[in-house]
Amino acid sequence: MANLIHARGLGIRFGLHWALAHVDLDFEAGGRLLLAGANGSGKTTLLRLIAGLRRPTAGDLTVGGRRPFEDRAGARRELSLVSHHDYLYDRLTAMETLRLWSELCDGDPDRGRLAALLDEVGLEAAADRQVGGFSAGMRKRLILARCRLENPRLLLLDEPFASLDPEGQTLVERWIERFADGGGSLIVASHAIERASRLCGQALLLEQGQAAWRGEAAGLDAAWRRRLGQ
Amino acid sequence: MKLVRPVLVLLLKDLRVEWRGRVRFFSIVLFGGITLVLFSFAIDADGDMAATMAPGFLTLALLLSSTLGLSESFRVERENRSLEGLLLLPVEPAVLFYAKALGNFVFLAMLAPVLVPSAIILYSVETGPAGFLGVIAVWLLAAAALAAPGTLYAAMTSRAASQDVLLPLLLFPLVIPVLIASVRSAELLLHGDPMNQAPSWLLLLVAFDVIYWALGGVLARVAMEE
Repeated sequence: MANLIHARGLGIRFGLHWALAHVDLDFEAGGRLLLAGANGSGKTTLLRLIAGLRRPTAGDLTVGGRRPFEDRAGARRELSLVSHHDYLYDRLTAMETLRLWSELCDGDPDRGRLAALLDEVGLEAAADRQVGGFSAGMRKRLILARCRLENPRLLLLDEPFASLDPEGQTLVERWIERFADGGGSLIVASHAIERASRLCGQALLLEQGQAAWRGEAAGLDAAWRRRLGQ
Repeated sequence: MKLVRPVLVLLLKDLRVEWRGRVRFFSIVLFGGITLVLFSFAIDADGDMAATMAPGFLTLALLLSSTLGLSESFRVERENRSLEGLLLLPVEPAVLFYAKALGNFVFLAMLAPVLVPSAIILYSVETGPAGFLGVIAVWLLAAAALAAPGTLYAAMTSRAASQDVLLPLLLFPLVIPVLIASVRSAELLLHGDPMNQAPSWLLLLVAFDVIYWALGGVLARVAMEE
């Protein structure tokens, strides 16, 4: 299978500090990768590089054969990033949020289609409420509905279970499963190792910006403990 | 056409978000009004002196109000890092720039029906409908010349902690020619133009508008992306 992401010697420096260095990554289309590591290990930075939000300081990175920072429009048609930040406008309603994204992504703001997307994440009753009044779980569900509009081949998820109650975490997990089962590729950066391991086959452990271990996601916990000397 | 539709979509979004908040518009109008009143107290002059200086005060009120409005225009994009979300879409940064710049122009243009009559009354300017409409036209051209570079700088400084300080420091030197052309053309339109110089000054303003708006689209990527 062809590589969807190809990275060699990838690195980025902020001032004198290398946030990420010497990272090699070959990620196949349809793959499911869990990014793990302590806070500040470079997980979010790697996702942002793949999303084209940052220009690498060193190395080479292609997504779908394109360099994401240089060929931004092309590369970003391939992927969707669910970040720490939800990118929502508090004064728009849920329906207006989806309509905005729809107009900018595919120019098809059909209300019936958007209502179906809201229905899928259980927000149909809140369609005309302003997002500013939403709970963290509702905001996350709206983000997932918004992701569907981007119709990505690759979904980048940064701490998708953070600030959610157990019910919300289960909903998000099922949504991600459906996406992956439909043939989508997945990279999940998460501290919720157990839950994220259920979604991902492979894992990459980052330590201080470098790849420290890679292998089956099921073996991540044990490998991480070994490295911590526990 | 490829650019026009997404620009309109984003402009509509900005206007809707602003309308639901309404804070920016009213604070800018109030700020502009207070600036005009303060200038009238500061010169402490008779009616003729005030009328003579009215075009300058009006342009300064626009300039000072613009910095308030421009920095506010990116506050909504910073709240939930919304600008980053838009940059993740297959939308060119130039589209984001033109939508935001148009939104800023609309806000500055909307000040004209309030501040121009206020200045005419406050500074006892004697002028007819032609002079009044002429000054409105100057205001619109000056607003366009401020909105484009102002939006670019507001985008560049939007991630800085001291945006409110940086924005005027960067913008004011760049728009000195706009200030001069606006004051001179408004003076001539209000107080008479025996040498027919006003068209030249207005043409200069139009030239600044064209240059700043064209450059803004080219430089948008540098300003918007990290």
